[in-house]
Amino acid sequence: MDINLNDLLRRYKSHPFEDYKLETPHTGIISFKVEDGQPVKGPSGKWLHKPGTLLYVLEREKNPKRIYAPCSGEVVHVRTELDGQFVEAGEELLSIRHRLDKDEIIDRILTQVLFIFGAPQRARFFLIPEMATKIERKSSGSICVAPGDEILIMSLMKRDTMIAYAGEPGVIYKVYFKSGDLVEQGAPLLGICSPEKLPYINKVIQRIKTEWED
Amino acid sequence: MSEDCVLIANRGEIAIRIMNACNELGLGYVVVYTREDEASFHVELAREQRGAGAVYRISSYKDPNEIFSVADRANATAIHPGYGFFSENFRFARRAALRSRPLTFIGPRWEVIRDLGSKINTKRVAKSLGIPVIPGSDSPIYNEMDAEALAEELFFMQKEQGIKHPSILVKASAGGGGMGIEEVNHLDTFKRVYRRIQNYAKRQFGDEGDLIEQCLTDYQHLEVQLLCSRHGEVVHFGTRNCTIQSTGRQKRVEAAPGFDPQLYDYPFDASKVLERMVKYSVRLAKHVGYDNVGTWEWVVTRDGSPYLLEVNTRIQVENEISAAISRIKGHQGPVNLIKEQIRSALGEKLGFKQKDVSFEGTSIELRIVAEDVKRGFSPWCGTISRFDFPEEPWARLYTHVPRGRPYSIPTEYDPNLALAIIWGRNTEEAKERAKAFISACNIQGEDSQGRAIVTNLDYLYERLEDVLRF
Repeated sequence: MDINLNDLLRRYKSHPFEDYKLETPHTGIISFKVEDGQPVKGPSGKWLHKPGTLLYVLEREKNPKRIYAPCSGEVVHVRTELDGQFVEAGEELLSIRHRLDKDEIIDRILTQVLFIFGAPQRARFFLIPEMATKIERKSSGSICVAPGDEILIMSLMKRDTMIAYAGEPGVIYKVYFKSGDLVEQGAPLLGICSPEKLPYINKVIQRIKTEWED
Repeated sequence: MSEDCVLIANRGEIAIRIMNACNELGLGYVVVYTREDEASFHVELAREQRGAGAVYRISSYKDPNEIFSVADRANATAIHPGYGFFSENFRFARRAALRSRPLTFIGPRWEVIRDLGSKINTKRVAKSLGIPVIPGSDSPIYNEMDAEALAEELFFMQKEQGIKHPSILVKASAGGGGMGIEEVNHLDTFKRVYRRIQNYAKRQFGDEGDLIEQCLTDYQHLEVQLLCSRHGEVVHFGTRNCTIQSTGRQKRVEAAPGFDPQLYDYPFDASKVLERMVKYSVRLAKHVGYDNVGTWEWVVTRDGSPYLLEVNTRIQVENEISAAISRIKGHQGPVNLIKEQIRSALGEKLGFKQKDVSFEGTSIELRIVAEDVKRGFSPWCGTISRFDFPEEPWARLYTHVPRGRPYSIPTEYDPNLALAIIWGRNTEEAKERAKAFISACNIQGEDSQGRAIVTNLDYLYERLEDVLRF
């Protein structure tokens, strides 16, 4: 599928932000360490081993859990009224207005170019061990799949089901989930590119790299 | 007791049954739920009965820190674990009892859960009390020569008994839920299977110990329901038959009492077998100082031999069929075993003795599940738009599926929809009523592709013919 790259790039340039909503991972007493408008940094280092800015501390059963910014940006919508309070799991706390970088723009635009194999159900997904090993060793861009190949395990209602790939044959260009992630129905699992489309994809990537400035 | 507040650390219909029991006892309660269960009826009902402050969203039912954190926040004094999750976790029960702000664990003492939670230990203690257990090892075997010698003995013993196709099971002793079990049909293949299971057990559980036991193929699965107190009282509520199961050993239709010799001929004296099972169960309970509800699981072979399988140190899903046929001091109407369990855990005396308990009729439980029985009982997921059941004086229904609004079955849990408890003056009537109940059920819904809901109602109807038959 060809896309109007100019339009897409213009749209992203006019608003190159995405808001990441942060929720409490579990219950506990919260104390915020940031305020509205404060710039924060995401994890850094070769293996992303250096944590980002400390956002808040959540204390449960006398164990403080320090929560750091998962990405860089500006803190917005901090719910200061919750400071010092007991909060439930999944409570919205703040957002980080994150400026998309070149790689993220490429990722987003590619979802409109690649064949997307989406989650058939809301479930947890795993790559079959052989596929996971292959991807780890080779990188996804060189692994081919064809319709009927059983490449995923869907864990649903305490049962594991093998999922066969259905779609155009091609190489796995992008894996959109981490092993064991809970993926919403229809959300992308894999981005597949047919061999004949590869030059076009590369052209798109090259174009974005040239035109997008971080 | 009325000042106690119970944290219900479970979901679905059992949460609702515990809420009902707390209401009947005049106890306060709080419930927890996960995001996936936001639309569950147990959440709606708790908000309605106790207000928004009695309902807490947690990250997981399996995170003990979440449960204890909410218990403190809500000033709960006791935790009811229901079944599954923490119900048989002695570490959880111990933590509840020993923390700086102790909580009453509604279940047996943690020491009892620990001791009976191990199948090997249960078997060893049972054996020492003269209670029959499935022939085989009563401790993990690590030595191949010992294992082979025992296997040889088990094959020989079965041949002596005239069993045409003897077989044994090799089980990873640290395993559970059907994992790490293989059948051996011939002694020649034993060594290979033993080594395979040993390697598997080492890999999966970090303990290569194996159990070896005779493989029973023609048997009925029975249970004995006990209720004990912190004051040394032990009372039984008869037996149940749980033989009708789906693949993966999931119970689907249960009946109480365990056999009906008035309706069916058994190749043994069924009343005597049931009596023996009850007697043995009570013997073990007294020996270990059992002090809450519990289920003693048995298998009965075609020659009428009962063998103790294990003890479930918790309330069972199917407890209510035992309750439905029980009368205390001649009172009409069923017993509420969950209520009795809570009273017992909070330190009350039972207030009745074995001689005060009588039995009346037959009760059948139907587990209504969204599953495709023709495709290996695979779970169905989608949205339920209509959920109608007949209202009858002889039937009770427990469900977390709300009525009057669409409900999407959460994909994180089992697709269990409801439990129906049917009572009849005798087995035939109970079966007829169960059939009438199923026929009057109306469950509608569709999946994301617009295909109609699949349930096991037809399967349950068909299997009613097999209830209590050997």
